[in-house]
Amino acid sequence: MSLAFSEDTRARHERMLARYPNREAAILPTLHLAQREFGHLSAEAIAYVASLLGFPPARVEGVATFYTMYNRKPVGKYHLQVCRNLSCSLMGAEHLIEHVAGRLGVRPGETTADGKFTLSTVECLGSCGTAPVMQVNDDYYEDLSEDKVDAILDGLR
Amino acid sequence: MPNFTLNGISVDVPEGTTVLQAAKTVGIEIPHYCYHPKLSIAGNCRMCLVEVEKFPKLQIACNTVVTEGMVVKSDTEKVRQAVTGVLELMLINHPVDCPICDQAGECGLQIYYMKYGLHKSRFAFEDKVHKKKVQDIGGQIVLDAERCILCSRCIRFLQEVTGTSELEFFRRGDHSEISIFPGRPLDNQYTGNLADICPVGALTSKDFRFKCRVWFLRGTRSICPGCANGCNVEAHFKEDIVYRLKPRRNDDVNRTWMCDPGRLEYKKANEARLLTPVVRENGGLKAEAWEAALSFAAFRLWGTVEAHGAASVAVIASPAFSNEELYLARKLAEEVLRTPNVGFSPRSSGNGLSDDFLIKADKNPNTRGAQLLGISEEKFDDIVRKIEGGEVKALLVFGNELADFPGERTAELLSRVPFVAQVGTNEGAVSLAAHAVLPSASFVERGGTFTNHAGRVQRFWMGFPPRGNARGGIEILVGLANRLGAGWTFAGEASVFRAIARSEAPFAGMSYESLGELGQIAGGKG
Amino acid sequence: MELVLTTHFGNERYRFAETYEQLGGYGALRKALSMPKEEIVAEVRKANLRGRGGAGFPAGVKWGFLPKDLSRPRILVINADEGEPGTFKDRLIMTRGPHLLIEGIAITCYALEAHTCYVYIRGEFVREAEIVQEAIDEATAKGYLGKGILGTGFDLEVTVHLGAGAYICGEETSLINSLEGKRGWPRVKPPFPASVGAFGLPTIVNNVETIADIPWIVTHGGEKFASLGVEKDGGTRLICVSGPVKKPGVYELPVGTSLRSIIYEHAGGLRDGKALKAVIPGGSSTPVLRADEIDVGFDIESMQKIGTMAGSGGVIVIPEGTCMVRALSVLMNFYAHESCGQCTPCREGCGWLAKVLHRIENGQGRNGDVELILEVCDNMLGRTICPLADAAVMPAQSFIWKFREEFDGHLREKKCPYGNRF
Repeated sequence: MSLAFSEDTRARHERMLARYPNREAAILPTLHLAQREFGHLSAEAIAYVASLLGFPPARVEGVATFYTMYNRKPVGKYHLQVCRNLSCSLMGAEHLIEHVAGRLGVRPGETTADGKFTLSTVECLGSCGTAPVMQVNDDYYEDLSEDKVDAILDGLR
Repeated sequence: MPNFTLNGISVDVPEGTTVLQAAKTVGIEIPHYCYHPKLSIAGNCRMCLVEVEKFPKLQIACNTVVTEGMVVKSDTEKVRQAVTGVLELMLINHPVDCPICDQAGECGLQIYYMKYGLHKSRFAFEDKVHKKKVQDIGGQIVLDAERCILCSRCIRFLQEVTGTSELEFFRRGDHSEISIFPGRPLDNQYTGNLADICPVGALTSKDFRFKCRVWFLRGTRSICPGCANGCNVEAHFKEDIVYRLKPRRNDDVNRTWMCDPGRLEYKKANEARLLTPVVRENGGLKAEAWEAALSFAAFRLWGTVEAHGAASVAVIASPAFSNEELYLARKLAEEVLRTPNVGFSPRSSGNGLSDDFLIKADKNPNTRGAQLLGISEEKFDDIVRKIEGGEVKALLVFGNELADFPGERTAELLSRVPFVAQVGTNEGAVSLAAHAVLPSASFVERGGTFTNHAGRVQRFWMGFPPRGNARGGIEILVGLANRLGAGWTFAGEASVFRAIARSEAPFAGMSYESLGELGQIAGGKG
Repeated sequence: MELVLTTHFGNERYRFAETYEQLGGYGALRKALSMPKEEIVAEVRKANLRGRGGAGFPAGVKWGFLPKDLSRPRILVINADEGEPGTFKDRLIMTRGPHLLIEGIAITCYALEAHTCYVYIRGEFVREAEIVQEAIDEATAKGYLGKGILGTGFDLEVTVHLGAGAYICGEETSLINSLEGKRGWPRVKPPFPASVGAFGLPTIVNNVETIADIPWIVTHGGEKFASLGVEKDGGTRLICVSGPVKKPGVYELPVGTSLRSIIYEHAGGLRDGKALKAVIPGGSSTPVLRADEIDVGFDIESMQKIGTMAGSGGVIVIPEGTCMVRALSVLMNFYAHESCGQCTPCREGCGWLAKVLHRIENGQGRNGDVELILEVCDNMLGRTICPLADAAVMPAQSFIWKFREEFDGHLREKKCPYGNRF
């Protein structure tokens, strides 16, 4: 197996394991670490996490495919996740999604040819009072308008 | 012992009994898919909803433990509507490809649809969620994810029984499906059970696939002949061809499971069978009528005793034969031929598999029975030495092979014996060398008992009469003995078993009635 | 007006322990550590503190379900998996007043004799989790958490656990499964978490806001807290207002404040002079109200009386001109996306409802589709392990019951009268 955690991540992983009464509870946090380390959770990454924790890979795959934040396919350098739930929709999210899609030349679920941006639509991000909302990697961008989004995308280029 | 009321009937049940289990004991069927008596409670199919007094919502019978004075109804219009509703939802993404589905005829969806559904689909076909069809997921199993109703029985089986967890749910919502991890197929010796516990046609047997519609099959209660565990099975056959073995519940032996190699044991009843008596004389083989073949064998055995004395005759019994047959074989040797040379052939350990669950290293169904009947395994080695020394002039062999000897070794040994008679089911090293082949019935073609490794004496029943010209072992032995002047009056396995119970201490007090379906431990309680 | 939580949320330094202490923080913990444990629980009972996560179960009563014997370690789990559409209050507490939560955790664990606490934060809240972790580290350094807190013999370890994107994990047994490293499937009950919860141990799961209220209750007494609200529903609560109002956001208001004043006074009414068409009062899973139904107190019992729920306090304001079929379709996409797939009625029903709504909205509805939706709803409601099916059914039924004409109109005209847009 060629995939493996770096020294640093391995140390973090060890510290994290100590917080739980068993290795099973470490599956979600380990998958988070793996996604940060490897970019996305390929079948190889799943198998690596499974062997690291000592579970059959199907068990880990079952968990990884249940939760939406685990990317089983590669995503761009910037993962744009625009909320499409009701509060955001009432505040123009549908138009915003069309705008971003048009600007990047991709449909939701696709990645730009240069591998820089992946556009996704997501369900409620829990920031309805500042709708419409978009999450880019770990950060929320709130109270969005088309102009604001353009400025954000320019900043990410 | 709480008492509760189910559909107006007062029922006493042991502490901890669920409504679903209690209903079964009084013959009330509560429909269910995810519940399985040998697996943990999942509670997710939602078919077993019942009305429980004081609960505003319908409750699932599988996870509702009976309490004193509880009043439950499973036969109301509200329950019926709920079950119909769940069934309709279950079918909306189902492909309804019954015409090409092996499960048809024993499918939980079909059965409950006939009972509760019979609705016209209100779901447009083009809207269905499509999933992968026909995947070989390893072991004996083919997966059709579209037919799956996600009851999780297979997943729980692989977690709780084999501990191998090869199958899991992937994704979620109506895109949930069961699957293996790519490149990690089923890897255990019990995969066939997945097809049994799957209530629909999602997990089906590769071996049985497209072989026969289940409604053409008839079944008989039997015992798997594949090893010393003696798993209780049902043999399913059409006319005189066996199509599959299915485990039959016996909590003391195999719960409700069986192993994969065992499932394929039926093939021996179909393939390479000895189906007609054959006599070898003057270097040529000749099919004979039974009367002629038996007379020939008797004549040669008796002639040898006359010419060389009883000690020149040997009988090699087989632990693949029933208690009844072994008892008569011993009796023939001791009382009719009066030879001390009777032993049983420790048949091969076959594929070498064994585990601490169901698979025993001893690949014979009745080694313990032979031992309890006083037939010795050590005697076999003695007989082999005597054959090598040229002392054995006539030999009666049961079974198709000698121990786990390679074919050449068997051929070489038997070539040293002037007369070899065989009672066996299949072509093999013994039949190639025998001078008289007396074809006997397979385990589905006769009745009798086997004694498993733990000493449990268990009945197996005849499904259909012996194929071709084969005969039951008892009939062959009686025919042979009587031609040697014995005057036996045994008729059928029951009469032989009565004799065993009378004269053999470990079997004292037993009868077919007392054995019942689940057997009894020899030499004691059971 | 007396505030329980948000008094200092305007102060950017309030999220740091030093400022929090200067403003009286951790006083309640000191007080609690000198109180008999039963007395703390008794105060919380007196407070009529109803769970703020949505179900509204009295917190003190829930705590009482723990088994009496202490032979098995107990666990407190904080439900910070804020995911109910329209709700964004716990995020505010975690970012502006994380020490309120931590102090609440310490008091609660002390009262319940739990030495382990997991804070389950939804996976998207990476930054929020960082702030909470930082606050935990500060609190540990200052002796409020960890070994022998504040010189007592009481040990408490608090661990932040991130989810990974699943609304269902807001349901407490699903959250426990997720914490244990499993798919977030709700568990069949019994057993209940108080007897068999996380890692098989007795477990209490409480919402962030619920636990953040605890320090104030300990400081001021349960009766004072109760008196802020209404009968059987005490205190203030964080009301989230979203949709096109002038001032969307979180408002801390006494329980029982009228929904009309929430929308028109606190949130400033609708933007651009628009009229109100409908309100979803307690998060997307609660039955919708028409504009003429908003003269109701925002408390659990009053909401129940008019056939809806206070839920998690997520008020979604829907203006005139909104297509209610489209709005419901958006919501049903959400439930179909978030159904865990475990129970047949929810797994298949949510997807079916979404598909039928799509075709109605797109002008391809069939005669009888509205009745079909209602019948599918009947086959889902109350038929599943957890309330997600109910959560999908309640908006579906109420949208149709209250705005039937819009659904019929789509079928009649074979198109969306609003032009398939918001």
